[in-house]
Amino acid sequence: MTPSRRGFLLGAAALSASIATPETVRAAAALNAAADWGIVTRDLETDVAAQALRLIRGRAPAGLEGCLFRNGPAKFRRPGGSVSHWFDGDGLMRRFDISDGQANLTARFADTPKRRVESELNAMVTPGFGSKGDARARLGSNDDASCANTSVMVAGDKIWALWEAGSPLAMDATTLATEQCVTLRPDLKAMPFQAHPRYAPDGTIWNVGTSGDQMIVWHMGGDGALIDAKVVRLPRASFLHDFTATDRHLVIVLQPWVYEHGGMPFSSQFSWKPDLGTQVLVLDKADVSRSRIYELPTFFFFHLGDAWADSDGTIRFDLAAGKDTAFVMEGARVLVDGRGRVPGEPAELSLVTLYADGRAEMVSSGVTAEFPKANPRYAGVRRMLTAHTTGETSGRPLPTGLAVHDWASGRSDTFEFGTGHVVEEALFVPKPDATSERDAWLVGPTINLRSGMTELHVFDAGRVSEGPLVSWSANLALPAGFHGAWKG
Amino acid sequence: MRTMAISRFLLTGFVIAIMAAFLAAPVSAASAEAGLTLKVETSAPTGKVLISLFDSSASYSGGAPVAQAMIDIDAGQTEAVFPDLPAGDYAAKMFHDVDGDGRMNTNPFGMPTEPYAFTNNARGHMGPATWEQTHIAVSGLVTQTINLR
Repeated sequence: MTPSRRGFLLGAAALSASIATPETVRAAAALNAAADWGIVTRDLETDVAAQALRLIRGRAPAGLEGCLFRNGPAKFRRPGGSVSHWFDGDGLMRRFDISDGQANLTARFADTPKRRVESELNAMVTPGFGSKGDARARLGSNDDASCANTSVMVAGDKIWALWEAGSPLAMDATTLATEQCVTLRPDLKAMPFQAHPRYAPDGTIWNVGTSGDQMIVWHMGGDGALIDAKVVRLPRASFLHDFTATDRHLVIVLQPWVYEHGGMPFSSQFSWKPDLGTQVLVLDKADVSRSRIYELPTFFFFHLGDAWADSDGTIRFDLAAGKDTAFVMEGARVLVDGRGRVPGEPAELSLVTLYADGRAEMVSSGVTAEFPKANPRYAGVRRMLTAHTTGETSGRPLPTGLAVHDWASGRSDTFEFGTGHVVEEALFVPKPDATSERDAWLVGPTINLRSGMTELHVFDAGRVSEGPLVSWSANLALPAGFHGAWKG
Repeated sequence: MRTMAISRFLLTGFVIAIMAAFLAAPVSAASAEAGLTLKVETSAPTGKVLISLFDSSASYSGGAPVAQAMIDIDAGQTEAVFPDLPAGDYAAKMFHDVDGDGRMNTNPFGMPTEPYAFTNNARGHMGPATWEQTHIAVSGLVTQTINLR
């Protein structure tokens, strides 16, 4: 072998070792191949006509009657342009009816001004949370940018599709037909109304909406009629997706992802400043001008659980606490790509305690968790249970299981579907004769990646690890949803 | 923030322009070559719709209007007529002063709470609809129906 040829071969071998071993080739192929979870951001082209779900195991528990409304993005791509972020797809309202032991599904897109414009152009052009949009967008107000895709609230005989930077969108609870943007008072038209309203023990509903360091506090009756609205100034212009409340307090968690400059997409306006730590602003519901600030270490979050206050003034709430903005900035884009490694680490179920003397602490349960939910009968008052999705891993932050964590015992009661399912938020539905927090069912869907179908499951909230009491399958896969509401 | 970004233009570009137009009240050129009728559809049955008409990109972007009109919704009026316009390109900005206080009301974060519109029913892009979107060729008698929202 001549030196030159040998040199060449050695060089080629070294090159091959560095970039093209069988392992790296397989890894690269895996990244380039459509992921098995890619279905979570598939496009639905039309509304879903009412269909009976097929029973696949178990039996519906007697006494479980009602509707699970769920919202989530279901259209991301059009020939003339697509969104690049999970949070920017068009909202699809889904209704799972459970009645007489049967389950039915229907789903309709929220008929927003944005969707009308983009249907006409056959292009997704509107700037959003993580999508820049382009000059073809028609934006006369923030409501023109709404995808109405984040959550849903039952308001009397209507449902409201919720986003977070604009008005709720009223829909008919039966037909899911879109009606109009909700203006709670003429002088408050187009004010932001976030996607996580909190229910108080007195039956009223609280919510917030932010713009920079200003926040509107909404207080409504159980039917959605406005009782009062006040604007308060925040100590920090943090990105805020959720707040929480006790029976007496509003709890505003201000993470160190703070407004830095204008521009689109919306998420580009914020800068992650971990050195700032996290602030918690507590407002008195009786007089929102009265406030107190607590300091916590840095964490990132989307979702909080309901809060409660002890008699000595100690406030507690749980949350899914993350480390940083990797998922929101990059991971949610990979999900829309439908391939590749999703960056970011899963959030952990954690408990925050705000002591009466001004100290604050956050303790992690060590349990991987998202979409924390509490029994609605205990909203705002002392409770011990948190239902949540679980099973996310670094590189694949899509839940594979469902759990109920007991803060008193520190134990989690978990059912693992495995990587063949993507598990969505499940809601507590109290049993008709409930006498305790645990006397409830958990109702929520999964996407079965093997069959390619959406499934609906019901668990006993006190015996999650025993698996679903009943499971039904739809005849299609709906893209993964975000949040829901139960109407009994 | 998103609401701030969208609202800023409306306060500066749109509201000031339209209010200045009413205060300045310049006289339009007299010619009987063409005319424009704007029929309006709006959600509230009270107040007045205030309209400013512009005849060039420059005036539309901050200059004086060529004409103004007021539609008295309280009195049941639904249209404004701009007669005797020289043939050419025109664009209008309008808002519905529902409560009759003479100004375009905004919510606490600066977003308009009273309906507004532009010719061609154009919507802007986080700013007022542009001359390119809103101008119409007026030659002879032209009628447009504008939906304020």
